[in-house]
Amino acid sequence: MLPLISHWLIPLLFSLSLLTVIVLLLLKIGHHFQAQGKSQSSLLSQINRALPQTQCGQCGHPGCLPYARAISLGEASNKCPPGGKQTIVELAKILHEPVRDLDPAHGEFRDFSVAVIREDECIGCTKCIQACPVDAILGGPKLMHTVIESECTGCDLCVEPCPVDCIDMLSSSDSGFLADTAFSSGNLISAGVQP
Amino acid sequence: MNTLRPGAPFQHSGKDVAQLMQTLLYALLPGIFCSLWFFGYGILINIVLAILFALFAEAVVLRLRGKHIFLHLSDKSVLVTAVLFAVAIPPGSPWWLTAIGIVFAVVIAKHLYGGLGQNPFNPAMCGYAMLLLAFPLEMTSWHVPGEVLNGPLTVDSLGIPTTTTERQLISPLSWTAFQQSALLAFPFAVSNTVQLQEFIDGLVLATPLIEFKMAGHSALLAARDSGASLFARGSETAWEIINIGYLLGGLFLLYKRIISWHIPLAIIATVLAVSALMYAPGSVAVYGTPYLHLFGSATMIGAFFIATDPVSAATTKSGKIIYGIIIGVSIYAIRVWGSYLDSIAFAVLFGNFCAPVLDQYCRPRIFGHGLRRHSRPAVISERPAKP
Amino acid sequence: MSALNWISSKLFAGDTVYARHTYGGIRPQSFKQHSLRSRIMSTPIPAQLTIPVGAADGGTITQLVAVGEQVLKYQKLASIQLNRDGCSEVFAHAPTSGVIAEIKSARVADHRIQQQLCLLLTTDGHDDALVVEPSYDPVNLNSAEIVDIIREAGIIGMGGAGFPSADKLDSAFNSAIDILIINATECEPYITADESLIRERAKKTVLGAELLQRACSATRCVFAIEESKRDAIEALTKALQADTEVASSCELVIIPTKYPAGSENLLIHCVTGIEVPSGEYPAQSGVLMLNSGTAYAVCEAVVQGKPCISRITTLCGETLQTPKNFEVLIGTSANFLFDLCGIDNSVAHRSIVGGPLMGRELNADDAVIYKTTNCLIAAGPADIPMPAEERACIRCGFCADVCPVRLLPQQLLAFSKSSDTDALVEHGLFDCIECGACDYVCPSHIALVSTYKDSKACIEARQQEVDRSAYWQQRFQYRQYRLKKDKDQSLARKSANKTPAPKLEKKATPAPLPNGQDFFSKEKASAEIAAAVARVKARREAKTRVNGESHAAPKDDPK
Repeated sequence: MLPLISHWLIPLLFSLSLLTVIVLLLLKIGHHFQAQGKSQSSLLSQINRALPQTQCGQCGHPGCLPYARAISLGEASNKCPPGGKQTIVELAKILHEPVRDLDPAHGEFRDFSVAVIREDECIGCTKCIQACPVDAILGGPKLMHTVIESECTGCDLCVEPCPVDCIDMLSSSDSGFLADTAFSSGNLISAGVQP
Repeated sequence: MNTLRPGAPFQHSGKDVAQLMQTLLYALLPGIFCSLWFFGYGILINIVLAILFALFAEAVVLRLRGKHIFLHLSDKSVLVTAVLFAVAIPPGSPWWLTAIGIVFAVVIAKHLYGGLGQNPFNPAMCGYAMLLLAFPLEMTSWHVPGEVLNGPLTVDSLGIPTTTTERQLISPLSWTAFQQSALLAFPFAVSNTVQLQEFIDGLVLATPLIEFKMAGHSALLAARDSGASLFARGSETAWEIINIGYLLGGLFLLYKRIISWHIPLAIIATVLAVSALMYAPGSVAVYGTPYLHLFGSATMIGAFFIATDPVSAATTKSGKIIYGIIIGVSIYAIRVWGSYLDSIAFAVLFGNFCAPVLDQYCRPRIFGHGLRRHSRPAVISERPAKP
Repeated sequence: MSALNWISSKLFAGDTVYARHTYGGIRPQSFKQHSLRSRIMSTPIPAQLTIPVGAADGGTITQLVAVGEQVLKYQKLASIQLNRDGCSEVFAHAPTSGVIAEIKSARVADHRIQQQLCLLLTTDGHDDALVVEPSYDPVNLNSAEIVDIIREAGIIGMGGAGFPSADKLDSAFNSAIDILIINATECEPYITADESLIRERAKKTVLGAELLQRACSATRCVFAIEESKRDAIEALTKALQADTEVASSCELVIIPTKYPAGSENLLIHCVTGIEVPSGEYPAQSGVLMLNSGTAYAVCEAVVQGKPCISRITTLCGETLQTPKNFEVLIGTSANFLFDLCGIDNSVAHRSIVGGPLMGRELNADDAVIYKTTNCLIAAGPADIPMPAEERACIRCGFCADVCPVRLLPQQLLAFSKSSDTDALVEHGLFDCIECGACDYVCPSHIALVSTYKDSKACIEARQQEVDRSAYWQQRFQYRQYRLKKDKDQSLARKSANKTPAPKLEKKATPAPLPNGQDFFSKEKASAEIAAAVARVKARREAKTRVNGESHAAPKDDPK
């Protein structure tokens, strides 16, 4: 049909255009990976981010960052009960390790719970305040203490020091406030709700 | 068995995978009928054998995988795979060839990747490509029922006498033709292997593209030039009629909205454009006419039925068009510069390779995303004071 | 067909304007004709009303009446401070007179809310009403006055989202509104509440729309209605042409009959061509959208002074003998309405609130009508056929063809299954409007929308967790810093050793309480401590005793 176009020119043009498409695609992919690489930070901060930050010390370290440091130096990553299975899986992914079960020496999985002080029994000794790693307990010497529920990490550290055993760990299912049960169900789906 | 839906929506259009697959099978009928008309019962024997082996292989694998056999068999996808495979391989293939190919397609290309919906490559074309690599001779001989006659003795320039065998075509739908096809499919029925080999050799017919590439001119075109009737039962016009049959089936699928127009149109347009640009009558190089490339081989069934297999194809609209262009270019390139003439299988597999990348990068713009920021003047209307 | 319409509308330059076509969408069978056969009926006053006063996402409820109190119709019962952005309070009013019997949590017929706090009102049948003041001069009200009336009337979005209308109008003050769209699309099958409302009360709806236009100072006001609603279009055209109390400045835009044309951002695009950027409110693009039911409620509130105590709800479904639209009091239970429509109890039915594509199944028929309940379906087997068994996704892409926001549901499904959060977000999971068009066409019968809802909930929960742990980490680090600072300071003091540390304990000497008691009396405190220690000891002993008794061979306490 186009007899005048020489037969080496057209294959050349075709291969060139194909090559261009491939190079463009590769560039875009490269850009994509670069963007991913930038968002990735150091191993330590990745591990630290995977830990639940309850600062409970059940792993044997004083806080989550020290444990993250220890993991980055080769310690086992299955010593974190509050993180649940998810944390172990995530850490294994970061460290390129097989997923292991939780080390039973460091406790067992349980639901997230918060400390609640039975306020009429509290004698105001401030021992729990000193134990709390995130300053979630409010109170003064010889005055009644209370836990700020929204700040509590559920680390359990305040239960042991209390001389009168007035701190309970309550999971969300235990605290049966009417308002909670009335509103908690079905409010996660909120698409299309806009003013 | 049936469980209540976990939530909205509660209505359904009534579309079903099994129904789609069934329509696809119906759409293949015109092409299959044309094939039957021109090449005899071989294609039917292929289809029956492929379906039997495919169902058996699928059932066994589903059992091994602990899946619900009847639920998964009832989606009819394995029938589509089997029929497409049976149509692709030459009629008159021996039974073991069909069996190996379809079992490979179902077990390895489909189920080892996770079954329906998970296979990255078209199973039927995987089976075909495997056979083409492993049994090139069997896969390139196209059998047409006929009688072998000894031609007249000729003496060539060196004085060596040779007898040429001549092929006389018989009606492909006759009882003799059926016997021949059955004999080809089940060669163990014949005791004398030498006789069989002669018999088989005598019935080999090349596809138009092979003829073209080997002989330098198209028998197809020659037939048309000599004014042969389109429906004469000769191999010369058979291919174009078969392709038209598949084209009709494909248009039916488009009408039924089972496939989208993107992939077939992209493939056909690309093949047409590339072959039109390359074709130069009178040139030394042999590229073939656009007509030959579109209707001379399996282009239509490839464009409408094989490349549109949704599981292994690109899934976005722009992705489908690029996917079609890639396959179109590959079809032409493999035919002209490659060593395989039936290039559909490799072209489609090459397209399948590209599909995941296309899906990742050829996405439509999501509503409300990627808008050019129109700067609205921040007019704050003065709120009237309360009375 | 609609292309022809469009051309003819251009050629003959009629009053009606046809909107542009939008991407995707489906055309399901509408089933609307059954409930449109009869006019809007009012219901008898039920013996008990359960008036929802709660809010979906928590919030503060202020009770304005006590249990046992006699209330009158239109009386305010409670004010609810919602927990959402930019929400002020919403009022709940008594739909009729009676006695408040109880406060309890009850099922609510709403798309999203399942349970709410409700006031149980035992009606007395007298329907004694507070005197309401009709506004004799609605034409001269200014926008702030209208918004205040709307707020006092407790009007929320009647279309289903339930956002307080007054707050929506308030938010419009921060951005100039070019166009106010009154959404009368009602694209979902079965629902005819808006259609029958406009068919029968078009004049009031138009008036309400004009008041709303005044309230948000919009330059244009547009009614968007589907092509197929011929009667409603006719009534609306008449109402727009007729001499209303105010000169009508509203326009009518006919949009193609397609689901989900009525979704907020899609309709805005369809009517105005403006594509609201993802994550922004339409008001930021200069568009405000309100439902036609809301417009009617606004008219009632402003012109008649009646607060929002009833709404129009469609009752339909195969098991109802007379499907129809009711003007129903808020708090009526679904059972009561089903009985009024002559439900065939011999056939098992599934009750659905909202339409069959975006609605929610009520697991019990005692759910009560809320201000957002536009439709109740008592669905028989012909309405909701048994879903076929779910098959594997074959990536056919039908879902992508119908997705109105151009997502790729087949890809989202794959990423949901592999819990690939990043890819899900990148592929626009949070732009999904959950319209269910993809489910509707899926030949593999995959419950796509449910999967996406689960994925969204998972990602949101995970994000909350991440935010929480970041916050904890910050607090922990601050504590470490504080302890270190204290330690350094005390070390510095020790090394200096010249100035003794000031006695901090002495600084805070509490003032004696006015009644003469010493709040910090040492004796009292030590007595209390001793009591507490004694209590603990007693409890421990009791515990060991119980343990000891439960054991076969009781041991002596080692102490």
